[in-house]
Amino acid sequence: MSMLEVAGLKKVYSTRFGGNQVEALRNVTFTVEEGEYAAIMGESGSGKTTLLNLLAALDRPTGGSVKLDGRDLSEVREAAAAAFRRDHLGFVFQEFNLLDTFTLEDNIYLPLVLAGKPYREMQKRLKPIAEELGIAGLLKKYPYEVSGGQTQRAAVARAIITEPRLILADEPTGALDSRSTDELLRLFAKINARGQTILMVTHSVKAASAANRVLFMKDGEVFHQLYRGKDTDEELYQKISDTLTLLATGGDRR
Amino acid sequence: MKPMFYPRLALDGMRKNKRMYLPYLFTCIGMVMMHYIITFLEYNPALAGMPGGAVIPEILGLGGMVIAVFAAIFLFYTNSFLMRRRKKEFGLYHILGMGKRNIGFILCWESLMIAAVSLTVGLMSGIIFSKLAELGLIHMVQGTVDYTLTAAPEAVKMTLFRFAVIFLLLFLNGVRQVRFSSAVALLKSESVGERPPKQNWIGGVLGILLLGVAYYLAVTIENPLAALSVFFLAVLLVIAGSYLVMISGSVMICRILQRNKKYYYRANHFVSVSSMVYRMRRNGAGLASICILATMVLVMISSTSCLYFGGEDSLYSRYPREINIDVFLQDTAALSTERINALQADILEVAGRHGVTPEDVYQYRSISVAGMLDGETVETDVTKVSAADLFSMADLHQFYFISLSDYNAAAGTEETLADGEAMLYINRGGYEGDTLSFRNGQSFHITKRLSAFPVNGLTQMDIVSAVMLVVPDLAKSVTGLDALADYNGDPIITPQWTYCFDTGADEDTEIALWRDLTDMLDKDSGYRHYNCDCRDFERQDYYGLFGGLFYLGILLSIVFLIAAVLIIYYKQISEGYEDQARFEIMQKVGMTGREIRKSINSQLLTVFFLPLLLAACHLAFAFPMIRKLLLMFNLNNVALFAVTTVISVVVFSLFYMLVYRITSNAYYHIVSSRKEP
Repeated sequence: MSMLEVAGLKKVYSTRFGGNQVEALRNVTFTVEEGEYAAIMGESGSGKTTLLNLLAALDRPTGGSVKLDGRDLSEVREAAAAAFRRDHLGFVFQEFNLLDTFTLEDNIYLPLVLAGKPYREMQKRLKPIAEELGIAGLLKKYPYEVSGGQTQRAAVARAIITEPRLILADEPTGALDSRSTDELLRLFAKINARGQTILMVTHSVKAASAANRVLFMKDGEVFHQLYRGKDTDEELYQKISDTLTLLATGGDRR
Repeated sequence: MKPMFYPRLALDGMRKNKRMYLPYLFTCIGMVMMHYIITFLEYNPALAGMPGGAVIPEILGLGGMVIAVFAAIFLFYTNSFLMRRRKKEFGLYHILGMGKRNIGFILCWESLMIAAVSLTVGLMSGIIFSKLAELGLIHMVQGTVDYTLTAAPEAVKMTLFRFAVIFLLLFLNGVRQVRFSSAVALLKSESVGERPPKQNWIGGVLGILLLGVAYYLAVTIENPLAALSVFFLAVLLVIAGSYLVMISGSVMICRILQRNKKYYYRANHFVSVSSMVYRMRRNGAGLASICILATMVLVMISSTSCLYFGGEDSLYSRYPREINIDVFLQDTAALSTERINALQADILEVAGRHGVTPEDVYQYRSISVAGMLDGETVETDVTKVSAADLFSMADLHQFYFISLSDYNAAAGTEETLADGEAMLYINRGGYEGDTLSFRNGQSFHITKRLSAFPVNGLTQMDIVSAVMLVVPDLAKSVTGLDALADYNGDPIITPQWTYCFDTGADEDTEIALWRDLTDMLDKDSGYRHYNCDCRDFERQDYYGLFGGLFYLGILLSIVFLIAAVLIIYYKQISEGYEDQARFEIMQKVGMTGREIRKSINSQLLTVFFLPLLLAACHLAFAFPMIRKLLLMFNLNNVALFAVTTVISVVVFSLFYMLVYRITSNAYYHIVSSRKEP
């Protein structure tokens, strides 16, 4: 059984007065295995963010199903959705989504505090993570006092401290400069090497080329996918670029 | 550039931020209205016509000033919060090429519009509310009702002037903030948390110091009416002190809570404590404002309701019998038995005409003298006595000498005293000495302290304490003193005959008798002057006065409550919009609706009691001063005052809790509603 199974996923948005209907996801089917590092690529409007919202149980699908470890997310009650996210998923967002009111340390603790973990345990968990991510010296600072890259690393720390089954990353490099992007991607690779499953949504070829598998989305469907195989990052980068060119010039489905 | 460019830009900016600006506007309107109503009452002739009405406008005038100061402080805080929001927009304009001068124009238009709207609407609602209040007052004293709306021009002028100054200061403060920050700093200003004041303890210590001075003034003030300026100073000090203490106090509390890891890292405390740290100054300011308004409401309601409900009490202590007569005689010789008997016979004759036989009579002859009590000696030297400044009012006493035979007859006792001995009764405070000697006069050995005395009603009305000395021989006891004279050359001692009785007749007979007695006493001129009062006649006046004061108290309390509700509402709404994005993130990270509720409740519990506690503290220190004020209305019933105070505190707490609950619901709805995708 795959860890994440997405089958025939469909999402239709209607405008406020019910007139126009927009089909964001038409028919999305894919699976993610335990320990995989997958990237989902696609242009703006291809339904990436909608997909991620459905995977995170932030939104309800119109049709189809999302199963995490065999459990259908649509069966998770609205009230339990937050707790479900907290216990099973880790998030890294483009705009970091750290809270101004907390120091980096407290931001990282947030999901654990919500889960009711004792302070000692939180401290014990944070120590190795902070050192690994190189933010040990910044923990007492506030988000507005550190750089974007440092903020994003804190956000990664917040995502992995709960030891989630799956990390969902939404354009994690979108707001970062190239150096910070490299750092973050190295970090993801390192985390993945330890066995952490990661699903990343991005339109950056560079970010996608760090993954082991790349899924391409177009018009609300999974259009194509690439496996890394034995390719290096550079080779994968080239393949992704080619595929994107093909997609953009309207090539046929293979 | 088009002429309407800046006004339009200002209007657009406010419209876009209307969720923030509307509560702010309501607060401004509320403040203007509050100020107008108080100044309106100050200039209201109906109030000046009330007995004791002379001091009420003065108190209200000072109250108006206090409100203006309060409004300035509070509006500054709410405005600083608005500016944080607007600065981002101004930063953008600045980057897009707008000079700081031009941003100043926008700010100027914005201030003008807010000032115009809040002054017009505030004054209008103030006028309507004050008219309603007036109708209520007239209805209460059963006067004729006039339905035309009238505004007090002085009050309007005063309100316009003071708030124009406040709005000008707010505008200048805004310009200063834009002027001295870079475009980038402007853009970022919203996300930057409030830095905790570095020398936090200085503010705290200063605040405690101010409160200490204010409390000292409040406790030591002897005559709050005579020392209105001191009283006013104490009020201002309390306001300033409350702000300082609340701000640094809330910072301190937050720090302590944060340091306590076990407490802090709990789902329901984590979010609330951190967001309080984030905006601690504003939080402190809001709490201090609530505290001050709470104190005002509590002081007013507890004292005026005490007056109202203690009216009968007060009446009985001022007028111990239905008819009370005090005759002040020329000299000690006039206290002779023949003269007194003649007077009494006249009174009995008039009473007899109305078919009344005096019952429960008590009468005594006394000689009174004012003096400063210094240890166990009394200084009656006029130069020194009249130089008594306000702070030594505590030492100023009125001494009454009463002969033992009169006392025994009035009290129904058979006490005996030797030469040079005396029994002492003091109506307020205590006297511990074993002897009491009058400079230039006699010395007495105190053999007994009396716990009760058929007290003369007049002494109750006096602000100074009365000391009753029961002596074996009245004339001898003032030897020495009888030779002294005051500035006008009049003797300093006042011989007096007090005659009080119940009639046992109905009210009409009683009042008719009292009128005849007054006529009779008017005709006789064998004495300096006299007092003749009838309790049932005075009762109407009493209730007119106390009812009016009670009504005034309720009215002002409503005004202050409205202000307090506005502040709490403003606090919740503005913080709600500020926290909305935060809660959205937290929901993504895994916070449930129930946890949001819990964290809101935690915040409520953490800060809920602070203003109430401080208000109660203020009230406790104001207690002695209010008691002194009440004493001037002959109300010496501490138990009743304590009860009305406690009831006021309880009722206010319940009300406060209710408002907090309702507004925290508003907060919850704001933070838990997700934005449209």
